[in-house]
Amino acid sequence: MNRKLSLFALPYAVWLAALVVIPLVIMAVYAFTTSESAATLENFTDMGIYASVFVRSFRLAAIATLVCLLIGYPAAYFMAGEGPGFQRVALALIMLPMWMNFLLRTYSWMSILENNGLLNQFFQKIGLFSLLTSMTGQEIESFQMLRTPGAVTLGMVYNYLPFMILPIYSVILKLDRNLLEAARDLGANSAQVFVRVILPLSLPGVLSGVTMVFVPSVSTFAISRLLGGGTQMMLGDLIEQQFLGGAYNPHLGAAISMVMMVIVVLCMALMNHFGEGEEQAVML
Amino acid sequence: MRKNRRIGSRFLIGLVFLFLYAPIALLIIFSFNEGDSGAVWKGFSLHWYASMLRNRLIIESVYMTLLVSLLATVIATFAGTFAAIGLYSLPRRRRDALLTVNNIPMMNADIVTGVSLCLFFVAFFQFWGGFARWFNDVQTAVRLPERLTLGLGTLLLAHIAFNIPYVILNVAPKLRQMDRNLMDAAQDLGCTWMQGFWKVMLPEIKPGIISGALIAFTMSIDDFVISYFTAGSSTSTLAMTIYGMTKRRVTPEINAVSTLLFLTVLILLVIVNIGEIQQERRKRNASPQDVPLGEKLRRFFATRAGRYTQWGLTAAGAVAFVLTVLFLTRETQSIPVVNVCSWGEYIDTDLIDQFEAETGIRVNYQTAESNETMYSLLKSGGADYDVIVPSDYMIAQLIEEGMLSELNYDNIPNFQLIDPRFRNLSYDPENKYTVPYTWSTLGVIYNPTMIDEPVTSWGALYDERNAGKVLLINNSRDAIGEALMYLGYSVNTTDESEIRAAYQVLDDASRRGVFQGKVMDEVFQTMEGGNAAIASYYAGDYLSMLENNEDLLYVIPDEGANWFVDAMCVLKDAPHMEEAEAWINFIASTEASLANMDYIGYASPNMEALEQYPAYYEELYGEPMDPELYEIMVTPPEVLERCEMYENTPSDIRALYNRLWIQLGI
Repeated sequence: MNRKLSLFALPYAVWLAALVVIPLVIMAVYAFTTSESAATLENFTDMGIYASVFVRSFRLAAIATLVCLLIGYPAAYFMAGEGPGFQRVALALIMLPMWMNFLLRTYSWMSILENNGLLNQFFQKIGLFSLLTSMTGQEIESFQMLRTPGAVTLGMVYNYLPFMILPIYSVILKLDRNLLEAARDLGANSAQVFVRVILPLSLPGVLSGVTMVFVPSVSTFAISRLLGGGTQMMLGDLIEQQFLGGAYNPHLGAAISMVMMVIVVLCMALMNHFGEGEEQAVML
Repeated sequence: MRKNRRIGSRFLIGLVFLFLYAPIALLIIFSFNEGDSGAVWKGFSLHWYASMLRNRLIIESVYMTLLVSLLATVIATFAGTFAAIGLYSLPRRRRDALLTVNNIPMMNADIVTGVSLCLFFVAFFQFWGGFARWFNDVQTAVRLPERLTLGLGTLLLAHIAFNIPYVILNVAPKLRQMDRNLMDAAQDLGCTWMQGFWKVMLPEIKPGIISGALIAFTMSIDDFVISYFTAGSSTSTLAMTIYGMTKRRVTPEINAVSTLLFLTVLILLVIVNIGEIQQERRKRNASPQDVPLGEKLRRFFATRAGRYTQWGLTAAGAVAFVLTVLFLTRETQSIPVVNVCSWGEYIDTDLIDQFEAETGIRVNYQTAESNETMYSLLKSGGADYDVIVPSDYMIAQLIEEGMLSELNYDNIPNFQLIDPRFRNLSYDPENKYTVPYTWSTLGVIYNPTMIDEPVTSWGALYDERNAGKVLLINNSRDAIGEALMYLGYSVNTTDESEIRAAYQVLDDASRRGVFQGKVMDEVFQTMEGGNAAIASYYAGDYLSMLENNEDLLYVIPDEGANWFVDAMCVLKDAPHMEEAEAWINFIASTEASLANMDYIGYASPNMEALEQYPAYYEELYGEPMDPELYEIMVTPPEVLERCEMYENTPSDIRALYNRLWIQLGI
């Protein structure tokens, strides 16, 4: 190809520098300065008090990722085993909710989980509460479901489950059928074929699914705000509070963003170390 | 046995779909609900669709979303394609380095991208401001705008920035597959480079470009976080509007919007799939699995449905173009505008229409959640308001920081109607900056059917017996102020130990699970629906809640309460000073004050309106107003005696408030 074509890369390199690199550098500058623009490490040393937010974010995101994996892997695996017509419809049905804004999907859970919401109304109708009341002696009128860690995790699973199913599905589809046959011919039973052939080969899909669920989960602020009702502060909320929320301090916010970024990158690097494949499935 | 397994696997897939679709189905069902609840069915109706279409905020944000997504997609596809071509003619080492940087926005959490872009834009604006001032000083031929704010431009840049990597990622594999000799051969055979590009390269990489464009468009449409940090206050995408709505009283208008969105996408998907099936029948090709998306699309575009879609896409491009032209003409047309920022549920919206009809000035009415969030928005450079309506203590802080501009009271004759007791208050002692908007008290709202004893003290908010039934107000000044009052301290104390003691009260209660959540305007929905028993909120809003839940009571606790004034001010260097003063004058008029009092339940500081309101009420509703309710709305002087107004606190105390407030959430 023509060497001169590489000139096309130049504007893009400039663009990348301006809108990717420099913003991150500015963020770093904010993180290491005070509002009087004096250099400081205070933003980082003060972060200890937010340890519990870090722990909560990573814990809830990890749980959500695990649940997504436990539901998503078998679903993707079974889907790949169906006929082409079924697959087409199933694929469309899984992608369809992704086109609807995630805030709408999250919002719909609010009216389901409220104390007077649909789920509690349902429990009331089937007499669950009177049963529990007579069993425990305490009067129980409703379950507090909204504004709990469980609700936030549910919101993450609900929103990001397709991101887990799709990459795993596309990797399993691309598996060489001959490999499976060969394994069976060599005497492996179905379980062995699955554990020793399919599972290792689908690992790249799993890894990209895990990334695509974990990263947005750990940094979310809208889901925790809507379903956690301000009681389940996550890293995303903490950062949002410092920029557009009720406690303006962009320097601290930038510092927290940086720490989060570094931890996430480390987690991802660690994971990619164990399974080499990554890119691919992102594009489906 | 095989069959059993198949049933088992289909059962699981069915469960996954049930999980994915049940909430969406509910959302759609309740968009047809007669009532305004998302959980109680009151009969079939289409009126939420009608009111959605009348909602200017929703319509404008749909328009904005389409505009930004289409423009960003077109630009990113174009730029990304050429960037990919350039990248693939680079030596490997340099290409890989650039690709790594290219992947950063995709790997990073959205919030990090959003925050870093926001900081970058604001830093750039500061730099630009300095440059433009210098430039305007040294020459007079060209005047550069000195004040830039976040808005459509930054939003578009941000969207292009996160779209390009996806385009590159889709075009790159096609380039890799292409035989490098093809272009050389074409040129050897006498093609110019341009011809070679059109005739040889483009057809090869077209599927990659199309799928890249589609993914970019999807990403743009679905994005919330990055837009939230880069759009500023006056530009709102649909996602941002929805987020704003979920924080206020939620109406089924949201359900109507989602239903329409869902149906649009569903229809598109069905068309695409039918096209695909037709195509396959004709070709009897292998199963769809090993066909890449780009190829699928190419084949799809060869079908009849595909041709329709292609027309559709062309039409979409044309629509984007028309939208842009319309937008630009609307922006450059000098329709006078005023940007107003106030609180949610805080104006009779008919007044906006009335003002626009009378003056021809267009009102961009936006809302913020609390004084603190509005302050953040102003500071982070995201706001381009003219008029804001902060509360007393925040006004004092803004004056102290030199962020307000002095008003010309000659342009605001209705200021003369303001009751003297609401003039020259401590936050603006010489009354140079403000015209009071409303005044009210902060007290306790409770639902006597849900708790045993009547509330008489702030202590009820922290009482373990009410565990799980209390809503804490979601802003630091009010929440800590209430605890200070409970302990018998002044709300304006600068004694750190007193503030820490108040924090301790909140922290203890929080640890014992007393608070169900922290809310601002979500309080309407939660208290009206009987989902919580006790909340602290403002008297005016109590009166609105009462219309939807007659059980609720409002009390000013024995320890006393906070009374406050929200006043209209104009930001320094506001671009629409004249329009801003016209708006303020209009709102301060007696007629507007009366309408507002009735609509939002807050007392006006307008003397005539205060006197006339009972008669106005009687004429409107055919019965006299309940004197008890009137006293809640227009707090009598002897009750105001027991209330304290917030004052501006020194910056170290403000920092302490912020720190404690964040700490409380963790």
